[in-house]
Amino acid sequence: MVDFNKITEGVIQGDSTVTLALVRAALDSSIPAKDILEKGLIPGIKKVGDLFGAGEYFLPELLVSGEAMLDAVKILEPELAKGDIPPKGKFLIGTVQGDVHDIGKNIVVMMLKGNGWKVTDLGVDLSPEAFCSAVKEGDYDIVGLSALLTMTMPSAVQTLEALKVAGLRDKVKVVIGGAPVTKEWADEIGFDGFASDANEAVRISEALIT
Amino acid sequence: MQKLTGVERILKTIKHQEPDVVPHFELLHHKKVRDAILPGASYADFIDYMDIDGFLPFDKVWNWSYETVDASKNIKRDQWGGIVQFTSEDLGHPIIPAIKTMKDLDSYVPPDPDAEWRYNDLRQLIKRWKGQRAIIAHVTDAFDIAKESLLGDVAYFKAMIKNPEIVERCNEIVTNYHLRFLSNCIDLGADLVLVSGDWAMTKTPMASHEQTKRFLAPPLKKCVELAHSRGVPCLKHTDGNIWPIHDILIDYCGVDGLHPIDPMAGIDMAEAKSVFGDRCCLMGNVSCAATLSWGTTEEVRQETREVIKKGGKGGGLIVMSSNTIHSGVKPENYVAMIEAIKEYGKYPLDWSKLVPTYWTGGGK
Repeated sequence: MVDFNKITEGVIQGDSTVTLALVRAALDSSIPAKDILEKGLIPGIKKVGDLFGAGEYFLPELLVSGEAMLDAVKILEPELAKGDIPPKGKFLIGTVQGDVHDIGKNIVVMMLKGNGWKVTDLGVDLSPEAFCSAVKEGDYDIVGLSALLTMTMPSAVQTLEALKVAGLRDKVKVVIGGAPVTKEWADEIGFDGFASDANEAVRISEALIT
Repeated sequence: MQKLTGVERILKTIKHQEPDVVPHFELLHHKKVRDAILPGASYADFIDYMDIDGFLPFDKVWNWSYETVDASKNIKRDQWGGIVQFTSEDLGHPIIPAIKTMKDLDSYVPPDPDAEWRYNDLRQLIKRWKGQRAIIAHVTDAFDIAKESLLGDVAYFKAMIKNPEIVERCNEIVTNYHLRFLSNCIDLGADLVLVSGDWAMTKTPMASHEQTKRFLAPPLKKCVELAHSRGVPCLKHTDGNIWPIHDILIDYCGVDGLHPIDPMAGIDMAEAKSVFGDRCCLMGNVSCAATLSWGTTEEVRQETREVIKKGGKGGGLIVMSSNTIHSGVKPENYVAMIEAIKEYGKYPLDWSKLVPTYWTGGGK
């Protein structure tokens, strides 16, 4: 009998060793990978996100828990692929031109993956053209822009404009996050969503594709 | 009141005494803004032209060494061994950290803080301004260097939980360099020390109170102790919501000034003044994320006035932007901020100018 709560707790505690051992044991007991993910791991990373949002967890705990989660997902991936389980959605993310700060973006990537999203991370300092090209070639539900500096907020606006000019704006939802960005500003510019942290990024992304 | 020099103005306000006027300096002025105000001038000439009270030669720009790794991609190795890519905005993005294993750490050779060339510019600045403008020796703090150049940010944060020894050894390497570097700067004539590096994000500190005290604070505390032992104040810059850790910065580490009292993190100058403004000089907090970049000159004037009203009583205030005069700041707004400091920041403060008329019941 597999206790999903223990897997959840392993993620919350950021204990990769325990989490991986429990996930392997569950697979050996023929528990479907989908159940391990949805009943064990995802509740764990959601709780971690909540603790981070509540100011009880900080970056060290968040990253250690994220690592436990992602290591476990790697073990499940071959089984998940067999079951042809679709991801929750497809997310393209990158830091806008002129900006190189990426720990916030990387945490969003980690939390999205942990919550069942397929994420393509384009990296940092990306031109509007780079975003357009990726959107044109890919099949994404959401594009996430990260702008940590005030001086790079215009780059985010230019990216949104470039998507419109290229006729790609209606193909995807575009969301933004980053320290200087506010919801009011994001609404005024015409973004589909704004997230002030990784947990909110997951929440609004789920809401946007529902 | 007798007109003070820039350095006198800054040192007096740090001692919580009222100078002749609220002082001002910045961590950085982007070349684009400087050129718009005084085309073609050197940084030092710009400081003189704007009559700014102090100058801070930012360490990464003025006294770190870099070795080109790939010129076509603007990739360099910084002096700590971290591989960094520079963008169009000339910001460094860490790509590969110097230390990946304990073995790397065992054989690590730190940069030489005594290298003569590091102090060439400082000597020139001191020759030019000693006694007139404050010369502020600057170091990027051990936390920043360890997580960006030495270990990488993700590895650093994980190591706080999984391998604290590697974090503490990195701290020691950087701190030894800093103590030697700062001591040399003070020997040459630096008037103050400023340690920069963000400890907090917009909503919360990056690490818990306990982790902050264990890993982030000791290197800063040592810099403060060194500065104080030489009779020099030590200032600290960190963005973000520092409320949960302000006791560590001010009471445990003993910093003499704190920048930027981050408005983006919701830190209010008046609240900071009332909670710790009696024992720590407040530095900030005209928003370079909002008003200086997007606002009008009148909005900048009003915000500067508000900062002085909330933080200026009894000294203990240096009006600065909330981070730097970055490339997105409107040049005319920076000029408006400096003019507003001179207009509203004269001591004794003129409260009839600082308090809007509707608060006093006057006016129509």
